[in-house]
Amino acid sequence: MNRPALAISAERLTKRYGETLAVAGVDLAIAPGRFFGLLGPNGAGKTSTIHMLSTLIRPTSGAAWVAGSAVSTQQLAVRRAIGVVFQDPALDRTLTVAENLRFAGLLNSLSRAAIRERSAELLELFGLSERRDVPVAALSGGMRRALDIARGVIHRPQVLFLDEPTIGLDVPNRRAIWRHIGRLRSELGITVFLTTHYLEEAIDCDEVAFLSSGRIVRSGSPRALVEQLGTHIIEVETDRRAELAEQLAPRLGEALIDGDCLHFRCHSATADLLSQAELGSKARAVRWRRPNLNDVFLWVTR
Amino acid sequence: MTARPMIAVLEREALKLLRQRGRLLSAMVRPLLWLLVIGAGFKAQTFLVPGVLGMTLLFGAMLAALSTVYDKESGVMRMLVIAPLAHYWIALAKTLGATLAALVQALMLLVLLALLGYVSSQVSLWLLAVGLLGTAFACASLGMLVAAWSRTLENYATMMNLVIFPVFFLSGSLYPVQQLPAVLRLIATLNPYTYGVDLLKHAGLAGPAVAAVPDFEVGLDLVVLIGFSAAALTVAGVRFSRDAATEPLVHRLARKQSD
Repeated sequence: MNRPALAISAERLTKRYGETLAVAGVDLAIAPGRFFGLLGPNGAGKTSTIHMLSTLIRPTSGAAWVAGSAVSTQQLAVRRAIGVVFQDPALDRTLTVAENLRFAGLLNSLSRAAIRERSAELLELFGLSERRDVPVAALSGGMRRALDIARGVIHRPQVLFLDEPTIGLDVPNRRAIWRHIGRLRSELGITVFLTTHYLEEAIDCDEVAFLSSGRIVRSGSPRALVEQLGTHIIEVETDRRAELAEQLAPRLGEALIDGDCLHFRCHSATADLLSQAELGSKARAVRWRRPNLNDVFLWVTR
Repeated sequence: MTARPMIAVLEREALKLLRQRGRLLSAMVRPLLWLLVIGAGFKAQTFLVPGVLGMTLLFGAMLAALSTVYDKESGVMRMLVIAPLAHYWIALAKTLGATLAALVQALMLLVLLALLGYVSSQVSLWLLAVGLLGTAFACASLGMLVAAWSRTLENYATMMNLVIFPVFFLSGSLYPVQQLPAVLRLIATLNPYTYGVDLLKHAGLAGPAVAAVPDFEVGLDLVVLIGFSAAALTVAGVRFSRDAATEPLVHRLARKQSD
């Protein structure tokens, strides 16, 4: 697909802070309507990438286009086409829920009628209708995050950037936020670009890219990436990692060391492969489980 | 294209002002205390009327403009920087918001003063209007200039003592500029706020007989106020764009804080 037809594209996008290379030549090609996840640990360069794509910081080199406009030269055109939800809420705590949406709507030059209509829709969608006239300061963390996402889409952007949308939330609220994002995608058909360091949460993305030290180290469909890894992961908890890794390598292949655990990839159910006799007293525990995106990241960056 | 965003910023400023009753109350009490207590020591209290009106404009505009220092770390600024608006526009909009906040407070004080019999029926309405508007805008621009450069105004007390009080005392608010000692006279002449108060003196609030005597011509007052505001706003706007573009602002806004 050519550049104007893509929702987001980037070529060798790079951001350097003094000696530190925060983003080191990232290439992206994301089609409209896709749900894209940029994954990686804290400090991998995810937020810097989002800030460059949303025109808030300038790339040191490389180029990027969002909704057909160049991020370094057509900032206002890009900002008209995008919604951004930062890690911290972009809300005025002293104003009410409805007043915040109104403020955001007017900043995007929406008419009063459009603001009223869309606020009502979004508050309904996110279960906040009854809190319309409550000050933001009185909302719970989960509600505040939901309102912040509503604020980010009130102008119906083509592309929505979500920087760690579930950070700092408990499990029920995290699930609620994912439901909201799912509804937004099905109702508005917008392209969603999200970052998260809760890697396993990105399993429903159409495509994910793993970022490590500013570089994309692996990308693809999350389910395919997990399948390629194997059908099972065997975890062996032990104090004698090197010894056991060497002993088991001929049968289970290369081991990945994660804390005091050895991980092995398997392509069939292999519980019977490890007998008590074989491990003796070397292992404290043995588990086998399905792999997830966290495992993909660990194996890619081992 | 930017009419609705401007309404958004002004409306928010008005909402904040009306909700902070304490701020409104102190904006009324402070000048009245000056007029009734400090003024009691003068032969003609009415001499202080332009000064206390100017004080309300100065405090109102500066406090509103300086609140931008706090906005720089808050959610409101996140909404503003991501909106499809040039970043210098934010400085302009916030300055107009601060001007509006100051004018609302000054008009409320004027009503009070009129009720207390401190406003003459012979007041020049157009000079008063121009004086209020020009002074409010110049004070707001000055506040924005300070806010654009400032990261270290920890609280309102710092702002009051380091910025607002010097501007107020080192002006023609309390005494005619011509009667000040040489050094103070020089400082007052360089202080743009002096010309705002001077314009208010021209309006003849207390009637021709007892009015405070202006020090400068109306034309000079206007040229200084407009010139200063334009210059301050340009510098603040450029500084603001650069602060956003060269990223310290974005990094402050992006930094994870406690919810």
